[in-house]
Amino acid sequence: MTTFGFLVKSMFRRKLLVTLSMLSLITAFILFILLRSVAVLFSGVLEDVSDVRMQTASKYAIIFLLPHRYGEEIASVEGVVDVTHASWFGGALKEGDDSAMTFAVDPSTYFDVYDNYHISTEHLNAFLELRTAAVAPENIMERYDLEVGQKVPVVSTIFPTANGEPWIFDLVGTYRSDSETDFLPFLFHYEYLKEATGVSDVGWYTFTIADSEKASEIAQIVDSKFENSSDETKTMTESQAFRDMMQQFGDISLMMNGIIGAVFFTMLLLTANTMIHSYRQRIPDFAVLKTLGFSDGKVARFMMFESLLFCLTSATVGIGFAVLVLALVGPFLPAGLVLVVTPNTLLWGGCIAVALALVIGFIPAYSANRLVIVNALHAR
Amino acid sequence: MALINLENVCKSYKKGRDRVDVLNNISFRVAVGDFVALMGPSGSGKTTLLNLIGGLDRPSAGTVVVNEQDLSDLSSGRLARWRSESIGFVFQFYNLLPVLTARQNIELPLLLTKLGGRQRRKNAQLALDIVGLSDREQHTPARLSGGQQQRVAIARAIVADPKILVCDEPTGDLDRSTAIEILRLLQILNTEHDKTIIMVTHDPKAAEYAKRTMLLDKGKLVSRSSQPEVEAEVEA
Ligand SMILES: Nc1ncnc2c1ncn2[C@@H]1O[C@H](COP(=O)(O)OP(=O)(O)OP(=O)(O)O)[C@@H](O)[C@H]1O
Ligand SMILES: [Mg+2]
Repeated sequence: MTTFGFLVKSMFRRKLLVTLSMLSLITAFILFILLRSVAVLFSGVLEDVSDVRMQTASKYAIIFLLPHRYGEEIASVEGVVDVTHASWFGGALKEGDDSAMTFAVDPSTYFDVYDNYHISTEHLNAFLELRTAAVAPENIMERYDLEVGQKVPVVSTIFPTANGEPWIFDLVGTYRSDSETDFLPFLFHYEYLKEATGVSDVGWYTFTIADSEKASEIAQIVDSKFENSSDETKTMTESQAFRDMMQQFGDISLMMNGIIGAVFFTMLLLTANTMIHSYRQRIPDFAVLKTLGFSDGKVARFMMFESLLFCLTSATVGIGFAVLVLALVGPFLPAGLVLVVTPNTLLWGGCIAVALALVIGFIPAYSANRLVIVNALHAR
Repeated sequence: MALINLENVCKSYKKGRDRVDVLNNISFRVAVGDFVALMGPSGSGKTTLLNLIGGLDRPSAGTVVVNEQDLSDLSSGRLARWRSESIGFVFQFYNLLPVLTARQNIELPLLLTKLGGRQRRKNAQLALDIVGLSDREQHTPARLSGGQQQRVAIARAIVADPKILVCDEPTGDLDRSTAIEILRLLQILNTEHDKTIIMVTHDPKAAEYAKRTMLLDKGKLVSRSSQPEVEAEVEA
């Protein structure tokens, strides 16, 4: 028997009590990983949105379209670099599943404005050349089992075809983003949409500016150009737009952290209770250990070690399980919903486990240190 | 030279505002190889005295010198270390750890030594052989009888090879025939393994297994059956 072996046995003296507490702590760590990965998803998107990319959309609602000529007018504003536009198509890549975003865009400018998206020249050329061409990000290809070169049928409720048949696009290429957490859309030729439906307006304009400091100034100039027209606009940076949108959900990250905080606070009380309870029942054992010559410091360290063992084991099992679950369910989540466990999250998990161990181990360790042998034996 | 030497030892406990004087100016010596039975009415301070000799507690006044070590000089950490090397403890209710098997209980004190795992196991096995329980090494205390548990406790007390065994009513919870087996075992440890033993007991029959008896009453030593050589040695 080693000291470690002894401590493990000693910890499980109250098997049921300790096992149940361990299970609840494991559950807490699973929850921690899942909630953090959702929080990371949202804050990650926020971090990736750009301050030099601006959006001009209808002042009233994003669903109102803007005239096509606005593009040239925006491009003429000083400080504006590249301009492109996109229109919400609302297509379903699979029957009844419109969770993937589908945009009609101008391929000749789109990737200039979204310079964080990467597409090979070969794929871009193919996209430019063919009217019915489309490109999709990797996660959409994977999710809908698509391959470059195939035809993709898409049903749109906003732009239904005359005979009710799906739109057919030629998937000519793929693109990816710098960031894993971006929601990337399925893109096809705006010209094709225009030709087939006769629309001449676009959903919104996106453009880059040379200097992010000038963002609000430029926004004002752009919006004043179209003031008092029938299509007034609202222009803001992408990060601003994103924050506005997120506001509708409240601060997701804060909310997640709040829940995590509440969970671990409950865990703190529960496991501290378990530890103290389990220590109390072993007071005679600790008196015996001290009698045999284990010093005050040593028995205190035993208690602290036990608390660390308890928390770190629970954390390892919980986090491991959550990571496994995420890896398994990942492919079945809606496209773009990439739940990742960052090293930062793992580090936080470890810190929480250690902090929890120190807090809940303190009282038993302190009591074990102060335990007076003769009193403990006398009390029997 | 006496192995245990108490001089003018007093011990009192504080109970709230009151002070309870438990031991009153006690002096005595125990020579190497002795086997002393300590008797006296309940509450007379036998356990308290034993705890002072075993270094589990400190006197309020007087000196306790055991195995050439003045215990009042030691910090609590060094006292713990000293206990692990010098004293084996046997209690009335065995005080084994319920989660450990017999052999693991015996091995426990050896975790404080530098011995490797293999040597620890070997020594524990040897101690089990001495107390005659070789076939029960894998049993936990719950699966052992009282007498067997006390044997395991005795094996644990001797495994680190201390010079002194202090036993607090080791047969107090056992029936007569089992008690006799335990007392014989203690006798063997005294005569064949050179353990100096101090044993508290209420039972005059048990005291007969010792070489001499001391009687404690109300915190004072009231009589001791003399043991000529020791007294002579002390005189010299
Ligand atoms: N740790 C302690 N704290 C306070 N009082 C104590 C403590 N230990 C013993 N006493 C008191 O000291 C007195 C002597 O107790 P002790 O246990 O030494 O007696 P004893 O002779 O061993 O009795 P018994 O035969 O019943 O075991 C008792 O009055 C007891 O209440
Ligand atoms: Mg007693």
